[in-house]
Amino acid sequence: MNVEIDLTARERVPRWLSYATPVLTVLAALAVSAVVLLVIDVNPIEAYRLMLIETPTSEIGMADTLITTVPLVLAGLAVYLPLKAGLFNIGAEGQLVIGALAGSWVGLNVSLPGVALVPLMLLTAGIAGGALAAIPAWLRAKYDVNEIITSLLLSFVALQILSYMVRGPMRGSSGNFPQTDRFSAAATIPELFMRVHLGLAIALLIVVFTYLLMTRTRLGFEITFIGSNDEAAEQAGMSRYKVYLLVFILGGAFAGIGGISEISGVQGRLRAGFEPGYGFTAIPIALLGRNSAIKVLLASLFFALLFTGGTNMEIFLGIPAALVEVIQALIILFLITGEFFKRYRIDFTVERDPTPTPSETAGGDA
Amino acid sequence: MPESAFLEMQNILKEFPGVVANDHVDLQVERGEIHGLLGENGAGKSTLMKILYGLYSQDEGDIYLDGRRLELDSPQDAIDAGIGMVHQHFQLIPRLSVAQNVVLGEREPATLFRSDGESRLPEAVRSNGVVQALARRFSLGLDVPTQRIDDLADQYGFDIDATAKIWELDVGQQQRVEILKALYRDADLLILDEPTAVLTPAEAERLFDSLERLTEEGLAIIFITHKLNEVQSVVDRVTILREGKNVGTATVSEVTQADLAEMMVGREVLFNVEKDGVELGEPVLQLQNIHADNDRGIESLSGIDLTVRAGEVVGIAGVSGNGQKELAEVAAGLRRLTDGSITVGGTDLTGAKPKRFVNNDVSFVPEDRLRYGCAEDLSVMHNAAMKEFTDERFGSQMGLDYRELAAYAEELVEEFDVRGVRDVTETNAGDLSGGNLQKLILARELARDPDLLVANQPTRGVDVGAIEFIRETLLEQRTDGTGIVLLSEDLDEITDLSDRILVIYEGEFVYETTPEAADRDRIGLEMTGGASTDAATAESPQPIATGQDGEP
Ligand SMILES: Nc1ncnc2c1ncn2[C@@H]1O[C@H](COP(=O)(O)OP(=O)(O)OP(=O)(O)O)[C@@H](O)[C@H]1O
Ligand SMILES: [Mg+2]
Repeated sequence: MNVEIDLTARERVPRWLSYATPVLTVLAALAVSAVVLLVIDVNPIEAYRLMLIETPTSEIGMADTLITTVPLVLAGLAVYLPLKAGLFNIGAEGQLVIGALAGSWVGLNVSLPGVALVPLMLLTAGIAGGALAAIPAWLRAKYDVNEIITSLLLSFVALQILSYMVRGPMRGSSGNFPQTDRFSAAATIPELFMRVHLGLAIALLIVVFTYLLMTRTRLGFEITFIGSNDEAAEQAGMSRYKVYLLVFILGGAFAGIGGISEISGVQGRLRAGFEPGYGFTAIPIALLGRNSAIKVLLASLFFALLFTGGTNMEIFLGIPAALVEVIQALIILFLITGEFFKRYRIDFTVERDPTPTPSETAGGDA
Repeated sequence: MPESAFLEMQNILKEFPGVVANDHVDLQVERGEIHGLLGENGAGKSTLMKILYGLYSQDEGDIYLDGRRLELDSPQDAIDAGIGMVHQHFQLIPRLSVAQNVVLGEREPATLFRSDGESRLPEAVRSNGVVQALARRFSLGLDVPTQRIDDLADQYGFDIDATAKIWELDVGQQQRVEILKALYRDADLLILDEPTAVLTPAEAERLFDSLERLTEEGLAIIFITHKLNEVQSVVDRVTILREGKNVGTATVSEVTQADLAEMMVGREVLFNVEKDGVELGEPVLQLQNIHADNDRGIESLSGIDLTVRAGEVVGIAGVSGNGQKELAEVAAGLRRLTDGSITVGGTDLTGAKPKRFVNNDVSFVPEDRLRYGCAEDLSVMHNAAMKEFTDERFGSQMGLDYRELAAYAEELVEEFDVRGVRDVTETNAGDLSGGNLQKLILARELARDPDLLVANQPTRGVDVGAIEFIRETLLEQRTDGTGIVLLSEDLDEITDLSDRILVIYEGEFVYETTPEAADRDRIGLEMTGGASTDAATAESPQPIATGQDGEP
């Protein structure tokens, strides 16, 4: 038997397909996950109803979803902006963590009234995130060092620094836990409604800012152009150096702000491992939303729902956390695969009874 | 149908959003003939050939080869059917050898898995379908191909060493590798999309010799070109497309070049342009003792001195690969100097960033339009505004008024007759036909009203009508006081447009003349270093043996 698999790029993506893919792929992922759920004796329909319907319609669920959206969308933009300039920022995680750390230090050590302290914390977090992100950008712009690797590795550096700080210099007085003291009221981001803090408004402002930057400004034009053909862009007088640094620093600053919002708006103190890898989730978010900042926001909302819905499944249905993660990962995987098949067509040909293979039946594109 | 032709394309319809690229086209090609395909930019030639090669699928119509109906879903199907195509932009990988490039995509399994070869594996395992499928996908044998490629190259008189790396070859040799690639896959029909656009006249001659040899073997060849003299000299029959429609097929020996031009454009074409005398102004470009390396770090400009004044066209003639590309890039601020100085309009720009050149009103038409000239995946609007978007009229300070940008792009498209643009914000530069893209780039560079224009092969790939227009526009620009450095492989273009002609050889100017005094034979001789052989070899210890451009 002779199986031929051929991938062909589609000339055009049919319109219906571009709308149907996300829906179909999520359904497909849920169908596969259903098998897993059945194995551990959970009714999949009930589980999904809890995750996808009850979570966003209940007050608590909605609040949790919005709260989780804040760091996700900010980290998402930290990946999105460099992506527009043709770069991969895989280090949003580190930028988020370092922002949380720097902002927390200010929150714990500076005494000012809240109206001044909170902005100062956000600013410091932004600067820290931006500074960390500047390193891979500079190395790439100046020495052509691959930014994927440097930004990723710097994340681990940031995580280790966090771990050291909360165990050492910044450890709180209450016992031996790797965590800081609780923030004072002045260092807490005020609540908007139902535990949802002001960070959400800030995140939305940043989304709008990014959207306008990309669609209404000269810088946006340059970013787009450099992302598409950097050699032509340089020929036209645009500066790769400037744009590379700019997108990374802005992105890093956003992620840093996302980090401190999570600490000062939700958790109230900095702990080691205070978040489940939002900075890495930011990567599929940015890939799904790569067409516009608004789409990044939508993708973040969806992923926030997966996180909170997943937690609810854990709590109410006793589904092990690891399995919840499997389901989330399956959905991400299917979404990204779906994107791929939107652009490529796959053909299977099965020939039975093969004749001795002449050389020209080999596959692959010329 | 009685006695159908070898290749029959019947009633082919292909629409892109808003554009009918092929409007019910018929094409018949016989075995053993070189069939020309002519037409204006955007007439649908490349599209028709991409359909034949399985890259696009037609909306309507049928293709028959040797009486068999073909269903072409991918280039692989076309290759299987015996169709080979050499694209205008080569698809070779510079770091790999000739043999590796030829077998790329073909995937000969390693000897170990080959059913006919010597192998330690038991026959039963080797002939197993699954093993074969895996071996073809994941192993690569190069020994047999090298032999076969050498044989094929010998057979058709190609001087190619199968073990050479692509980057070591010049453009003409690279093109022969592309042809070998098709022959290696047993092509009966070979499609060549503007093969001579990148060749010098001498290289083109060689190509024609090879093509004639191939047709003697019974191959059919489809040949796209914009150069009517080539049609006259090698093509047997020619089919002409206009606005997607077939306007007729003619036997070349029965028509004149003027007939062909008129069939293509629908009006008479002037092959000569009028040139008025212009008062020369201040120097706009001064190059002093320029030294620069090429991409491989080998010195390719060795002491160039050049002054271009306002209102002057300086034509630079030479065999490709003698430093023209580097010279153009130096003058546009894209290439670093190893020695020497550049002054643009009185400002010293030695070592300055491209931005300063742009701001000092230098325009540049690059030879490689896809690499430096445009961003294929961005809209016509983005590309039209690639340099002007910083101008005040498109918004104050940070802001950018995209509606103004679109209006500006529309103006350029209109003025330069760029065809196939449905909507400047939606049509991508990469969707334009080759010649129309070139027109867009020229429009962008000329509309800025530059003080200095560096144009490398400005009319490459554009049709006769557009060449006429571009030449006129260049001369108008000259009358307005722009200094122009014109690099071209077309000697006629140089003599028609220039005020002064310089011949470049191995990175130095070896001869200077004026169009009036120009003696073609002398220029030709100087281009190949003929007149100063002794001097040249004495001065440059490393003759540039493979000094042609290494890039695809
Ligand atoms: N992928 C595409 N998407 C949209 N339009 C396209 C695409 N490819 C070609 N076209 C349009 O189809 C028409 C025919 O293009 P084609 O490339 O076949 O022209 P051509 O005859 O080869 O011209 P040239 O001599 O300039 O190479 C043009 O108007 C072009 O803009
Ligand atoms: Mg073409």
